[in-house]
Amino acid sequence: MIVSRRWVARLGAAAFALALLYPLSALFAHIGAWQWDAQVRGPALSSVRVSMLLTTVAMLIVVAIGTPVAAYIAHCKAEERLLWQAVLLIPILLPPLALGILFTLAFGPYGGVGRLLNHWGVAMTNSATAFVATQVYVGMGYFVLGAVAALDAVPPMLQKHAALLGLTPLKVFFRVTLPLARLGLAVALSIAWVRAVGEFGAVVVTAYYPSGMPVQLWVDLQSFGLPAVMPLLVIFLAVTLPLPWLAHVLAQRRSNA
Amino acid sequence: MLEAEFTKYRRDFEVRVSLQLGAAQSVGLFGASGAGKSTVLACIAGIEQPDDGHIDLGGLRLFPPSLSLYQRPVGYLTQEPSLFPHLSVGENVTFGVPKRGASHPERLSWIATLKDRLKLAPLWDASAARISGGQARRVALARMLARKPPLVLLDEPFAGLDRQLVRELIDDLIFWSKTIGFSMIVVDHQSDVLMRLCPESVIVLEQGQVVQRGAWSDICSAPATPLLRLLLAQL
Repeated sequence: MIVSRRWVARLGAAAFALALLYPLSALFAHIGAWQWDAQVRGPALSSVRVSMLLTTVAMLIVVAIGTPVAAYIAHCKAEERLLWQAVLLIPILLPPLALGILFTLAFGPYGGVGRLLNHWGVAMTNSATAFVATQVYVGMGYFVLGAVAALDAVPPMLQKHAALLGLTPLKVFFRVTLPLARLGLAVALSIAWVRAVGEFGAVVVTAYYPSGMPVQLWVDLQSFGLPAVMPLLVIFLAVTLPLPWLAHVLAQRRSNA
Repeated sequence: MLEAEFTKYRRDFEVRVSLQLGAAQSVGLFGASGAGKSTVLACIAGIEQPDDGHIDLGGLRLFPPSLSLYQRPVGYLTQEPSLFPHLSVGENVTFGVPKRGASHPERLSWIATLKDRLKLAPLWDASAARISGGQARRVALARMLARKPPLVLLDEPFAGLDRQLVRELIDDLIFWSKTIGFSMIVVDHQSDVLMRLCPESVIVLEQGQVVQRGAWSDICSAPATPLLRLLLAQL
């Protein structure tokens, strides 16, 4: 009786998983031959390059700035930590389109910083700089909050023992904290990556050009229809999904162990 | 060598203690759970900070101001071995040992001695996350001794181990204390541990206050308070 109940539960869970993955079946939908002629291929491949290259730059900035910020927050007392977390939640909770409009206004000719950047010749709309900056804004909160959780999971006593063995705080961070938090940090980075590379709402306002994959998908959908979208969609999934998925699965395996 | 007189305010009571310890001497701290023994060790190690008083170790002021953990020449062994799980046993043992410098060959020879005496050779390349609890205590002991600290703080490092292993570890500690000449402060609930590691000098704490000092045999034969008498009866 107990076994059969378990099987019913298992079947229920399997049905749930199937429903969750069902949208992926659309990759095999009968929509006619996929369009991959020169008219579609050139901009599509260019958008892949733009997304991969500029999102990588954005993630390097996110890690370089976000990791020390996370390390600082992880050592804060509860009240101060809550304050920082509340701040980090704002870009996460802002509707993407609203973020894009605010970003354009703040960094465009209407904002103080925008005027200054413009004076130095840095264009913050429809430029690679605008693309990267938008992605940094979109991904930073996710990375830092995830990184704080990852650093929190390292037992403080291990860090204290390392210090008592003669290691300076910086060495403790690199030899103990970072290696022990690396999987959690990878998960945080993967969330930031997925969020940034897939960002449409903010990027379409701040950096319609150079077009990344989401914007190009939208353009192709509008201009040529579904058959022209599918090849780029497959590439989009292939370059964004596997690594974050693997990082999450490994992290789950470790936390379940 | 160690001269400490400090107060640490806790939520429930204040821990007030004064300690003088010469080179290669040992002292035990005994008392009920929560009496403040571990707080004393944590203050000397620098894990916690006293609220008042001073701690000096061999001419080095540990408090006040509070000296950074990495500058304290103190070995600290706790109930939890706290090994670095991402490193091998060998990497754990050599973790705090400088990899360069004129005395590096000497250090390597010292590590080899520890490895041999503590029977760590078969485990040397194993992951620290995959060894048994008893093995982990031996590795933690080797890691602490690798730096040859002049003062060793032992916070119930033998709890939960079988008698044979405890006996072996105590033998090792006595051997190394004579070899290196370090001083020891031992917190333990086990009479035989105190009897072997610090028979001449034990301090009894109750609610953070020192209620008795003396040789362990004297304390056992004439406990100063009813609570201590009760504790000793339970040993």
